[in-house]
Amino acid sequence: MYRQAKYDEPLIFELGKKGRRAHLPPRCDFSRDDINIPENMKRITPPDLPELHEGEVMRHYVHLSQMNYCVDTNTYPLGSCTMKYNPKVNETIARSEKMMYLHPNQPVETVQGILEILYELQVSLGELAGLPHTTLQPPAGASGEYTGLALIKAYHYDNSETQRDEIIAPDSSHGTNPASTVLNGQKLIEIKSNEDGRVDMDALKAAVSDRTAGLMLTNPNTLGIFEKDIIEMSNTVRDAGGLLYYDGANFNAIVGKIRPGDMGYDVLHFNLHKTFATPHGGGGPGSAAVCCNDILEPYLPVPTVNHDKDKDYYYFDYDRPKSIGKVHGYYGNIAVALRAYAYIAALGEIGLKNTSDQAVLTANYVMRKMEKIDGLRLSHTSSIPRKHESVLEATPFLRNHDVSGMDIAKMLISRGLHAPTVYFPLIAHEALMMEPTENENKDRLDQYVQILEEEMDKARKDPDYAHHAPKWTSIGRVDDAYAIRNLTLSWKMMKEKQEKQEKQEE
Amino acid sequence: MGGNYAHPYLANSKMDIDEMLEYLGISSIEELYSDIPDEIRFKGQLKLPHYQSEFELMEAVKSKLSKNITTREVRSFLGGGVLDIYMPAIQDEILRRTEFYSAYTPYQAEASQGTLQSMFEYQSLICELVSMDVANCSLYDWATGVGEAALMASRITKRTKFVYSAAIAPNREAVLQNYVTGANLELEIVPYDETTGKMDIAKAKVLLDDTVAGIYIENPNFFGIIEDELDEIIEDAHVKGVRVVVGADMNSLALLKPPGEYGADIAIGEGQSIGGGPLNFGGPLLGILAMKYNKKESRQMPGRIVGKTITPNEGEVAYVNTLQTREQHIKRERATSNICTNEALVALSCAIHLTLLGPQGYKESAETMYLSAHHVVKELEKIGVKRVFNSEFFNSFILDLKIPKDKKQEFTQFMLERKIFPGIPHSFDGENYDYIVTTSYLLCEKDLDDFVKAIGEWRK
Repeated sequence: MYRQAKYDEPLIFELGKKGRRAHLPPRCDFSRDDINIPENMKRITPPDLPELHEGEVMRHYVHLSQMNYCVDTNTYPLGSCTMKYNPKVNETIARSEKMMYLHPNQPVETVQGILEILYELQVSLGELAGLPHTTLQPPAGASGEYTGLALIKAYHYDNSETQRDEIIAPDSSHGTNPASTVLNGQKLIEIKSNEDGRVDMDALKAAVSDRTAGLMLTNPNTLGIFEKDIIEMSNTVRDAGGLLYYDGANFNAIVGKIRPGDMGYDVLHFNLHKTFATPHGGGGPGSAAVCCNDILEPYLPVPTVNHDKDKDYYYFDYDRPKSIGKVHGYYGNIAVALRAYAYIAALGEIGLKNTSDQAVLTANYVMRKMEKIDGLRLSHTSSIPRKHESVLEATPFLRNHDVSGMDIAKMLISRGLHAPTVYFPLIAHEALMMEPTENENKDRLDQYVQILEEEMDKARKDPDYAHHAPKWTSIGRVDDAYAIRNLTLSWKMMKEKQEKQEKQEE
Repeated sequence: MGGNYAHPYLANSKMDIDEMLEYLGISSIEELYSDIPDEIRFKGQLKLPHYQSEFELMEAVKSKLSKNITTREVRSFLGGGVLDIYMPAIQDEILRRTEFYSAYTPYQAEASQGTLQSMFEYQSLICELVSMDVANCSLYDWATGVGEAALMASRITKRTKFVYSAAIAPNREAVLQNYVTGANLELEIVPYDETTGKMDIAKAKVLLDDTVAGIYIENPNFFGIIEDELDEIIEDAHVKGVRVVVGADMNSLALLKPPGEYGADIAIGEGQSIGGGPLNFGGPLLGILAMKYNKKESRQMPGRIVGKTITPNEGEVAYVNTLQTREQHIKRERATSNICTNEALVALSCAIHLTLLGPQGYKESAETMYLSAHHVVKELEKIGVKRVFNSEFFNSFILDLKIPKDKKQEFTQFMLERKIFPGIPHSFDGENYDYIVTTSYLLCEKDLDDFVKAIGEWRK
């Protein structure tokens, strides 16, 4: 049984009262009379910050936290998002004083420890990718995509092939692929997937030309299907003069199984959250690593982290005339990279390979069980195994019972389970995208499927039950359209609306 | 990892695995990879370390990290946009709640009100600081904020030129230059006045015309100088339809007029220094982006935005991700940005910190920063060391040291021996280095005086 906490928790602004305070900042030695700001630049109205005492702040955030589902609550099989357990030791390590209190502009001789860790992480990631050069600067997966694409663009410009401005990506790709392509000033050529959910080879052959900058391939793709024609695809693009970008968003399925660099891929990005278990933080921070081969190395963002083996000295290399420049103010999300480093060190070679094994096994197990439920079907083909995730379609259920994929998702939430990703990828219908990860054991998966069946049974008998789900969460189903019609995006806008309303009432 | 036992991070034992394989009618997990062509299968051994126990891991990482020297061991005068801050114990107590940090982006609003309400509160707190109506849930950092703001100004105005003041931090300038290449924006630089260190208003006016999408001004600027003569240029920009983007030091806004009150259309900045988190060697950080609400233009914002709504059945207050049709997961190549994962937990951290400070703590912290910097300047002047620019400043200034390139390393060592990080070196001529000195609220009077003394000794 599941009951999420429910508080009518006011906004923090509504909780305070003048004269209360929650924290004393460090003491000041100087007279405040000596402050002398140019008259026209003085702040007259202080910001309307809340005034609470320390205990009340704690309560507010405890209340809010208890109205949040997280990976430590229960199964969180969000396909494409990879919600695996975040080892707690990594949180402890990331809070080392020797990590937290390092300014990015400190002399390099005072940061040898962290540079050594970053360098070793680069080497490990390069080893997994089969690509020798790595940057950790991109602060998130999408930024990694952008960086990888920028390397490709820089390469073609450097080789006087500026007309190569087209990136080919399948229609099953994550939305960040097309968005990153456009941010990079390239044109997206989207190619259709075939009925097996793989890239249509004829469409690919028709798409390449002397304008092809590269192929951006997520493999396994967002249906969890491995693009088995990858060699032919690579040759097609390579023959047309394009480069090969391996989107490693789903690398958690193939650790130690294949190495994109070995099969001719030029560049790859990792999402450290997805393969190396860094916490998602309710939306971030993320971190990406971009690995590339020798031909793209000159364009990597500045600075790179290097090691002088003779002197056993780590340093930043800024002297990179062909570099694309910077994608982050400093060197990336270092505290996140440190967690990934610790994860790799804890699991080692065997353990890391096992994570992929178990991620793929649990995905296939739960998929085959769900496929048998009346009203669900596997998208595209049922004849091949999936990798770390699978997409089921609730189309038959919608047709027969007027209960949608979203309704099914909300019913699962009523039972204290997180829903699969709903309505993605866009090439599936009524999609429920399941990614259990290696963090779910067989018992949990059996329980998940059993509860799903129970809820779908209830919906068959009473579709309205489904339409009004979820129950037992802190709030009932929300009205997304209302939020847009009555845009209220801050306390300031709220106050102004209230004042306006009060005036009208007068 | 011991016969039938699995690694602690893996959920299934050998027995679980066998049962699942049996259900699937296969004899090994390898069969699930059978569709991968054999010729591309990796058959070697990965050169990765052996697995470690938790204790071994802790000791190994600790040993490596021990080679670092921190801003708590050496007095730090380093700023540049990020700053060493004190995070109250309660702040990390909240941040270590797994309900916050191990959750995903709140796609299922009903089960994620904690994240959503806290993000709405974050947006609101930021709006209070900068005096704007709407803020997004965060960008990666201040530097990417400059890039995103330039692109947003271009989308709003449908113009392709972007102008910025030369008194910008070089790392933010580098990211800006990178971010606008895709959209082919043309960048133009307004020089600063060489005596005041402020943006040259007359030259800025010449550069603004109806092809310019926006102008970016840092305030206080990279040299620490308060830009206090902006009225004329902002008015001129608005007449010409140019959007004004101000990059503010968020601590300074306790004392200085917020950008929203002097005509900025878009405000950006760094949230780390107002409680987003420890320095962490420069990341994760927190990119702040806020603007005046405008029905059409606010829809050009990048990133996630949380809005207030209701539940239709119960009529209760609720919070949701809104205006999502701007975003990549829906609009793909027509999205306003490629950002997906942002810095939500850092934004939460910042919101907690601002709540803990309240208006009084926020002001007192900024006052200490201001007064510490002014004390140092006064004492340095007594021994004949001057600033490069003699204008009003907040907590940062550029010290006229003119240290020759070949003496720079010696100076660093000299200061390190006295347990001082003296600031960020900056060269105007490519040969000699001046230092951008910034004071947090963590150094007491003696630390500041030691700095002055050390500078004096160096000059002897």
